[in-house]
Amino acid sequence: MSRHMRHRRPLFVVLALALIFGAGAARAGDPQGQLTWGVHTTLAPTWFDPAETSGIVTPYMVMYALHDAMLKPMPGQALAPALAESWTSSEDALSYEFILRKGVRFHNGDEVTAEDVKFSFERYRGAAHKLLKDRVAAIEIGDARHIRFQLKKPWPDFLTYYVGATGAGWIVPKKYVERVGDDGFKKAPVGAGPYKFVSFTPGQELILEAFDQYWRKTPNVKRLVLRLIPDESTRLAALKRGEIDIAYSMTGELAEEVERTRGLTPKPIVVQTPFWLYFADQWDAKSPWHDQRVRLAASLAIDRAGNNQALTQGYSKLTGSIIPESYEYFWAPPAPAYDPAKAKQLLADAGYPNGFDAGDFYCDLAFTKYAEPVLDNLRTVGIRARLRPLERAAFYSAYGDKSLKNIVLGSSGAYGNAATRLEAFVAKGGTYVYGSYPDIDALFEAQAGELDRKRREALLHKIQQLVHDRAIYAPIWQLGTSNGLGSRVGESGLGLIAGYPFSAPYEDLTVAHK
Amino acid sequence: MTQYIARRLGYSLVSLFLLSLTIFLFVRLTGDPAVLFVEPGASQADLDSIREQFGLDRSIWVQYASFVASLAQGDFGQSFYYRTPVFELYLSRLPNSLMLALAAMAFSLLIGIPSGILAAVRVGGFWDRAGKVFALLGLSVPSFWIGLVMILFFSVYLEWLPSSGSGTPLHVLMPAFALGWYFAAAHMRLTRSSMLEVLGSEYIKLARLKGLPESLVIAKHAFKNALIPVLTLAGINLVIMINVAVVVETVFAWPGIGRLLYEGITFRDFPVVQGVVVMGGSMIVVVNLVIDILYAVIDPRIRLEA
Repeated sequence: MSRHMRHRRPLFVVLALALIFGAGAARAGDPQGQLTWGVHTTLAPTWFDPAETSGIVTPYMVMYALHDAMLKPMPGQALAPALAESWTSSEDALSYEFILRKGVRFHNGDEVTAEDVKFSFERYRGAAHKLLKDRVAAIEIGDARHIRFQLKKPWPDFLTYYVGATGAGWIVPKKYVERVGDDGFKKAPVGAGPYKFVSFTPGQELILEAFDQYWRKTPNVKRLVLRLIPDESTRLAALKRGEIDIAYSMTGELAEEVERTRGLTPKPIVVQTPFWLYFADQWDAKSPWHDQRVRLAASLAIDRAGNNQALTQGYSKLTGSIIPESYEYFWAPPAPAYDPAKAKQLLADAGYPNGFDAGDFYCDLAFTKYAEPVLDNLRTVGIRARLRPLERAAFYSAYGDKSLKNIVLGSSGAYGNAATRLEAFVAKGGTYVYGSYPDIDALFEAQAGELDRKRREALLHKIQQLVHDRAIYAPIWQLGTSNGLGSRVGESGLGLIAGYPFSAPYEDLTVAHK
Repeated sequence: MTQYIARRLGYSLVSLFLLSLTIFLFVRLTGDPAVLFVEPGASQADLDSIREQFGLDRSIWVQYASFVASLAQGDFGQSFYYRTPVFELYLSRLPNSLMLALAAMAFSLLIGIPSGILAAVRVGGFWDRAGKVFALLGLSVPSFWIGLVMILFFSVYLEWLPSSGSGTPLHVLMPAFALGWYFAAAHMRLTRSSMLEVLGSEYIKLARLKGLPESLVIAKHAFKNALIPVLTLAGINLVIMINVAVVVETVFAWPGIGRLLYEGITFRDFPVVQGVVVMGGSMIVVVNLVIDILYAVIDPRIRLEA
């Protein structure tokens, strides 16, 4: 063997070893590891199909993984381009045109095309489907990447409904759905999201695997497991044992336990669910609540900061509005004040120096813990009410039927913008509106037809200011909830998207120790 | 005998009819499920659309007629929440519930029967007093508390057992104990009283007078006869364990029928609640019917009295 060859031998060995082991090893940047969630609520197969989105936020827990939308809320952006790389609306707000991103594929390899977008819209039957379909005159496909929605009349909130508040803009593969049918699709969903469906065991768990061709980026974590653990104490035990990495919805003493436990990290987030008191009798001239001073006194009596600390570990965000601050057209009201002395003075001025019997105070049974301290706060200034918790379905039925009286503890996590929230809770004819004010109704009517964004914003701000000044509501807080993280979690995705209560975007999640 | 069986069958059918009517009406007293499928603030159109989708926009009697007609064909309807046939859901959870119920039953019988016999044989003694304490605790300590204490001790502190879920034999141990605990106490009490009754009977006295060893008297003559009411109760309890282990299955995230019922109640999933209750009720009615017939076969006085 020549001297030359002897020198080269170590190099050959290194190269050979690199070839042998390098071929089998994961490339840097490949998805790796697993994250497991302890989920508080039952996963349903309807969540796998965007067409079934009913308007509650929980299905998005799965949709952000399996599917993708034309536009969607993302970190720092209320509506970020996703499958649509851009969009334009005509000046008369009668048409919206989207250009699809090039080369994006579903998990089965089919390309995402304008046909899929049209198909997804047409088969959508979830929340607000009638409203959307009634207002869309035609869907025109230019080519595989260009699609235009033609509206019957100008509708400035089209995007809010199409991609914000509903599942109509979340795209499913037309050919696949037609082949397997709706039931088949729920059993083996295929989407264009960052994770592929692996298996679903009803009542137990959903397993997902990284889709390495996801257009935005290759997900960091290889496998996601969403395990159903309905009991909060059991979720905490599973988190402590390392059986799960992220425990959703830890409240009260259990949230404090997460804070105390070594190796666990609390992850509080403020969700887009404001809570408020509604004075249902304020339009009845005989009711004490008809007097604005009484309503204001009630608001001043609420010790929001103290209650926040006691009930939600200080995680909630105190607010003076019934609209989440992340919503488009939100008007920031002055910070709510706590002033029991002034509240008593206002009551005395209104003719109630010794307070008054305020009758029943209604709340959803699940939120009794939030109502009780408010009840005490009101009693402190002389507003004496009886708590009447109603079971959730009965409460919202009665609230919507307008059969509740006196004081109502309400809340809403519905997606939308300031206009949609005002429509449901303030403007005449709204589902939860017990009475209205003509000037506010006129302003609301005006904003609905206003195409200029700035002028519309001004009108919506004016309405919110009037709602605040008249103390139609006594807003309390935007609810803060806590979650628990185990030591294997790098980026949990919690709180990245404003107001969204679950982990997302999934492709940004990381495992701490790879 | 044929007349007796026909009459019992008639009673069973009436029971099932009343059960279906009661559960159908009661679930509808709990509120409108549509409001639970949207966020507060949803439009009236959305609420109406959901009611229409679920068939809740029809009159209550039309809904009941449709429910009974489907039931007659073995169709329990489609779950509001899962959008899956209820029967399919029920069957998918049944193996888990059976496994849990059988394990819990085995535990409850293994604990309940020997301790009941010991208590009866040593009336007023240590074992009897210990048995009474056990029965008192078993019947009064809630199963969710036992479950949580076990999770904290065996899962979190000792790290021996998984805290929740299913899939391995280890997963079934804690839920089976938590579920079987109450029934073990019930079985212990019944075994004790049944044994005391049998031990006081004439034929046992005769067996003792004949000089048979006490162990033989208890094991062969007394125990066999005392076991009949215990096994009858165990049969009914097994059906209850399968269908309504709501608390234990929720605490341990055990994917059985009890949790399906819990989910049905939580989401006002009327078809699921109706389906689970009717299935559970049917099982109890069938078990009772079989027991009645067997009693009549064994004891002619029963069919003559009836």
